[in-house]
Amino acid sequence: MQIYLPIAELSVNLFFLVGIGGAVGFLSGLFGVGGGFLLTPLLIFSGVPTSVAVSSVTGQVVAASTSGALSHYRRGGIDLHLAMYLILSGILGAFGGVATFSVLRANGQLDLVIAVGFVVLLGFVGILMLQEAVRALLKSRQGVVVRERLPNQHSWIHGLPWRVRFKKSRLYISVLPVLAIGLFIGFVGSLLGIGGGFVMVPALVYLLRVPGNVVIGTSLAQVVAMMAATTIMHAVQSQSVDILLAFCLMVGGTAGAQFGAAAGQHLRGEQLRGLLALLVLAVAIRFGLSLVLTPDDVFSMAVTSAVR
Amino acid sequence: MNRLVALLLIVLFSAVPAGAAARLVSGVSNDTIQITSSFDGERLTFFGTIAPEAGSEQRYVEGPFDVVIVVLGPTQDRVAREKTHNFGIWLNTEQVEFKRFPSYFHVLSSRRLLEIADINLLNQNFILPEAHAMIPNIAGFMKTLVFGRELIRLMSEQGLFGVQENGVRFHSDTFYSAQLTLPSSAPPGPYIAQTYVFQNGEIIARKSEGFAVRKIAFERFLAQSATQYPLLYGIACVVLALFTGWLGGVLFRR
Repeated sequence: MQIYLPIAELSVNLFFLVGIGGAVGFLSGLFGVGGGFLLTPLLIFSGVPTSVAVSSVTGQVVAASTSGALSHYRRGGIDLHLAMYLILSGILGAFGGVATFSVLRANGQLDLVIAVGFVVLLGFVGILMLQEAVRALLKSRQGVVVRERLPNQHSWIHGLPWRVRFKKSRLYISVLPVLAIGLFIGFVGSLLGIGGGFVMVPALVYLLRVPGNVVIGTSLAQVVAMMAATTIMHAVQSQSVDILLAFCLMVGGTAGAQFGAAAGQHLRGEQLRGLLALLVLAVAIRFGLSLVLTPDDVFSMAVTSAVR
Repeated sequence: MNRLVALLLIVLFSAVPAGAAARLVSGVSNDTIQITSSFDGERLTFFGTIAPEAGSEQRYVEGPFDVVIVVLGPTQDRVAREKTHNFGIWLNTEQVEFKRFPSYFHVLSSRRLLEIADINLLNQNFILPEAHAMIPNIAGFMKTLVFGRELIRLMSEQGLFGVQENGVRFHSDTFYSAQLTLPSSAPPGPYIAQTYVFQNGEIIARKSEGFAVRKIAFERFLAQSATQYPLLYGIACVVLALFTGWLGGVLFRR
């Protein structure tokens, strides 16, 4: 059944949209990530204009993260104080990201920057995650108990000024790295149409030493608030949010996520992280190839003004 | 369809025979094409008859005639871009902008266009797709030529540009009809169908019809809200997302 998307101005198969929403939702439930980094590329590769794909997925990420954030909130797994700092800086970063997005779109370099952004970011994060997962898997096979680094081990980050006490995370750290992480995620997330959970969680764990019980919840709360703000900004700035497209993806995504979460309980943590790393790397490689390989068509076209 | 048959009959009986001065009586099956949520393209029928000039002494016109129908969509500014290989990666480096370029362009004709008339006459009347890319451009002649040709090729691959040289069928010496399937990617806006009647390589009559491609009902409401009230639209998207996420959590909570 074909459905006409009023902003993208093309008709797409409804079951295809709900299907990829569901499949990505399944994976996001399985790995506990938002899934934007999979959905945006899938839409782009299936013919949805890049700008519409990025801004509509932003809306879908809000929906995908809301149910998770709520359940973490009920369990007390969100450090609201820390989340507030991340959200404010994240929204500031998103302003920059959305403005850059419009400039790039006008210059015809949006696709290039998004492809390079995905290659660099996903490639980097994917390799780090794979290394970590392989090491953990090898050690567990040798029977060595893996010990994570203790939260009281300090690094140079803990020597910065303007320290603030975050009670729930039991941290007394400078706000500078917190704001920097928020700004970066806000900028990258709004530019690439990803929630940034898979960057945020490692950053909170390894850089700030946020304890495990509040990491996921805080990251999800930040993603919901920041992506909500980004959706509104995209709607105002580039008017490319397709609510129908976003809704189809949301429906598939929220349903798929529940099955993914159930399936995730049968796999071990390091196996999951290893699989996620492979998935992230696969997306990075796909974008990398599109940059390096000779394109089928060196010519492309774009509309620069509305219909008259 | 009934309307069409009735018109066909009227036209056939009223069409009477001869001479050079002729006028065109024509019509199109739809004057608006409505884009609904299940819009997947639409088929249009153009038809008409060639009759003697109104008020002339002639009783009938003498063929053979050739008919060319040019369907033009709303214009947009469009750019064609070229990727080149730099530092190991492919990136857009050159671009040419075509101002007020048709978003849709299809030519239907009863015979091969170059057999119907001289290429200059066809170009002057913008009957060939290439004519639209030959408008002087600040990018310079050679670049415009290359990028224009590529742009037309890209548009053709998307079904937005096309030439069907057997698209017009004559049912009698003077009565013709033509069918065109408008793809779902055809942009909304005002469309013009120009019909030319050729005889011996000259245009002897022409007429234009307008029709509109419009989003209606919910589609129209969404598209208008997105451009006219972007802030509210954005907030609505967020509320919808929050609600869907919350509902999903409630429905599937174990």
